[in-house]
Amino acid sequence: MNPLPLLPLLAVGALLLSGCKTTVNTVENAQKQGQRQMIPDARVITDGNLARKVSIVGVNQTMTHGGMLQVQVELLNQTRSLQNFNYRFEWFDAAGMQVNSLSTAVIGSTIEGKESRFISAVAPTPACKDFRLKLIEN
Amino acid sequence: MKKTLLLSVLSAALPFLGAGCAGTGAHYVQTGDQHNIVSLGQINIQDYIQAANDMTGKLLASGALDRVANPPAVLAISRIVNNTGQQIDTDLLTKKIRVSVLESGKALTTTTLGLGGSAEDPMAKGLQQENEFKNDVKTTRTPDFTLSGKIIELTARASNTRQTTYSFQLSLTDTKSGLAVWEGEKEITKQGTRSSVGF
Repeated sequence: MNPLPLLPLLAVGALLLSGCKTTVNTVENAQKQGQRQMIPDARVITDGNLARKVSIVGVNQTMTHGGMLQVQVELLNQTRSLQNFNYRFEWFDAAGMQVNSLSTAVIGSTIEGKESRFISAVAPTPACKDFRLKLIEN
Repeated sequence: MKKTLLLSVLSAALPFLGAGCAGTGAHYVQTGDQHNIVSLGQINIQDYIQAANDMTGKLLASGALDRVANPPAVLAISRIVNNTGQQIDTDLLTKKIRVSVLESGKALTTTTLGLGGSAEDPMAKGLQQENEFKNDVKTTRTPDFTLSGKIIELTARASNTRQTTYSFQLSLTDTKSGLAVWEGEKEITKQGTRSSVGF
């Protein structure tokens, strides 16, 4: 079989693939002034494919000036290509009851290859004590 | 023979693939979730939810509503300018913010004071005035803050790909000083060749 006719196709394929693989280089101050209050987290993984691609590095929380719980989750794209994902925060009061609010809207987002990024949310009421983050593959 | 076998396997697989996705028949979806339609040329409900959610979170986190002598603060809704090419009801944005702010316990929204003296609830305003006249006491509480804003649309096109950015801008103004004590902006950009289902 003559491989010559396939060469243009392979070249186009290689170009397409290289276009999708963009990773992120970063630089930051080595001696941090801020101290993140990391919290222990409990994870339930049902989509192993997504977890392998977009992993959770850590969770930290703080209280805002207005007395609301603010949560920040660090995500890392383990792959070398752009990943699309959706996420949603859910909030619970001291009795463990879910607080239904606009904050439960699903938000579509992207993360570049090997990028680390933070997603955060503020509790809708001061009564919210706990949270849950749902990550859904796009 | 091989081709027939392949076609048979594909035909058998198709219904299973289709079953995993949303069908074309009318069905309910959860408002704002990943199964909602994404339009390029208009603001979708999930855009309003996302903008309201983001800006309410920032407003509550700022603590601006807490800086009043007599909490909870009283909020009046001022003008939200629509600078997009479409006719929209700005209540789709402001109502969600009002609901969240009220649920947070940080502020109450007045429905008897509105832009240009018009009341959102004329009956409540009439009854309030009647009570004030009967008791000879002024009960109307002047709003501590007003909420104003603008929605801007920005479009771009490259070949068949269209991109639309919606910028939701809000300002919280202290009525005593006339100064904006909090400002928020949320930009949502959508890109594609046609509208679709999902993010």
